[in-house]
Amino acid sequence: MEDRPPHDEELVARAKRGERDAYEEIVRRHQQIAFRTAWVITGSAADAEEAAQDAFVKAYRALGRFREGAPLRPWLLTIVANEARNRVRAAGRRERLVLRVAEERRPGGAVPSPEAALLDFERRDELLAAVADLPENDRQAIACRYFLDLSEEETAAALGCPRGTVKSRLSRALGRLRERMEAADA
Amino acid sequence: MPELERMLTQLGDELAWPETPDLAANVASRLDEPAGRAERPARRARRQLGGLAGLRRTLVLATAGLLLLAGTVFAAAPGVRDAVLDFLGLQGATIERREQLPTPPPERPLDLGSRMTFDQATERLGFTPLVPQALGEPDRVYVRQGLPGGELSLAYRAGPGLPRARSTRLGALVGEFRGDLSPEFLGKLVGPDTTVERLTVDGDRAIWIEGAQHFLLYRGPDGRVVESSMRIAQNALLLEHGALLVRLEGAFDRERALVIARSLR
Repeated sequence: MEDRPPHDEELVARAKRGERDAYEEIVRRHQQIAFRTAWVITGSAADAEEAAQDAFVKAYRALGRFREGAPLRPWLLTIVANEARNRVRAAGRRERLVLRVAEERRPGGAVPSPEAALLDFERRDELLAAVADLPENDRQAIACRYFLDLSEEETAAALGCPRGTVKSRLSRALGRLRERMEAADA
Repeated sequence: MPELERMLTQLGDELAWPETPDLAANVASRLDEPAGRAERPARRARRQLGGLAGLRRTLVLATAGLLLLAGTVFAAAPGVRDAVLDFLGLQGATIERREQLPTPPPERPLDLGSRMTFDQATERLGFTPLVPQALGEPDRVYVRQGLPGGELSLAYRAGPGLPRARSTRLGALVGEFRGDLSPEFLGKLVGPDTTVERLTVDGDRAIWIEGAQHFLLYRGPDGRVVESSMRIAQNALLLEHGALLVRLEGAFDRERALVIARSLR
């Protein structure tokens, strides 16, 4: 039988024992979501890379205090998001997040799901434009929750706010997007 | 999932995300940086601190302070062992961001030690005290013993340009102690909504804390939190100035805090 990939919990335990390979595996596993989350917050790929890298180094040093059995990803994302926000604050400004659709719809040759194929291009572009027009906080909430597919808990961690705030931002943002899409359909 | 949310999720798949860099290799190479070497058991780090009294500021010391904090803050609030979200530190002070803060401590009168004149304080302290020239002579001077070199507090009444802080009922409170001798003396406990910002003030490392409620606490020589010391704090600037850790607390904003900090002589 083929070996199953180790769970995060197992990797954390090994990394705590000083196994560098295990920590590198943790980084590889979560680097994409960490980098993208930082990008959503900073709007800059260079800042996002620095923030994510610093966050992983910081997280390694804090690993001894990581609560056993707790999910790793929200914890990591919190550290990543803090690093990202610190950079935005230090710079005194934030790059505007430029969201656009990839030229090739599924990089890596993955087959689009039937649902994705059904998504009308025009409606998709309209939706993207509507998201781009949302206020900053609401756009970040939408990007974390839907574009990055983070859980509500992870979105709260990434945005540095309570879950209740995430819920209210999402509900407000969805309301606005719905109105805009309905107006476009009319 | 409602239609709109399904569309958003799909849209996420189709976005032009910037290419994710290979962080694993860079992170791996950085795990051996000097600060990383301080990842020895906290107890060993603490033992070393005794012998390092004269040593100038080093990363090792700063990190040791951070490590020591881990167990000690939990001791302050055993019921709240929520995930620690972030750590920041200076020589003499550590800031821990938590998902949830413990129950606010009861309001108590400030305990700043014994009141005395500035000259008396200068004689008692193990360092040359600094006064922020922007604020002028303090209205009250206090010295607390019990840590190497002692701790100085300069209290300023509220007045024009110096609004009264809810936490201290003062216009400004300036604290000074030898951060190099007590690298873990002062602690801040902040929640997710408090702004914590690293700054450099004329070359000195500093941290600005602003916004939502946060706590200030002190640790004894054994590293344990002195529970009676925990109190709600207002905006604060923590500054490493030579061997000193200087704390400015008040209802002022960051710019005002920086002006005050730059005028320390």
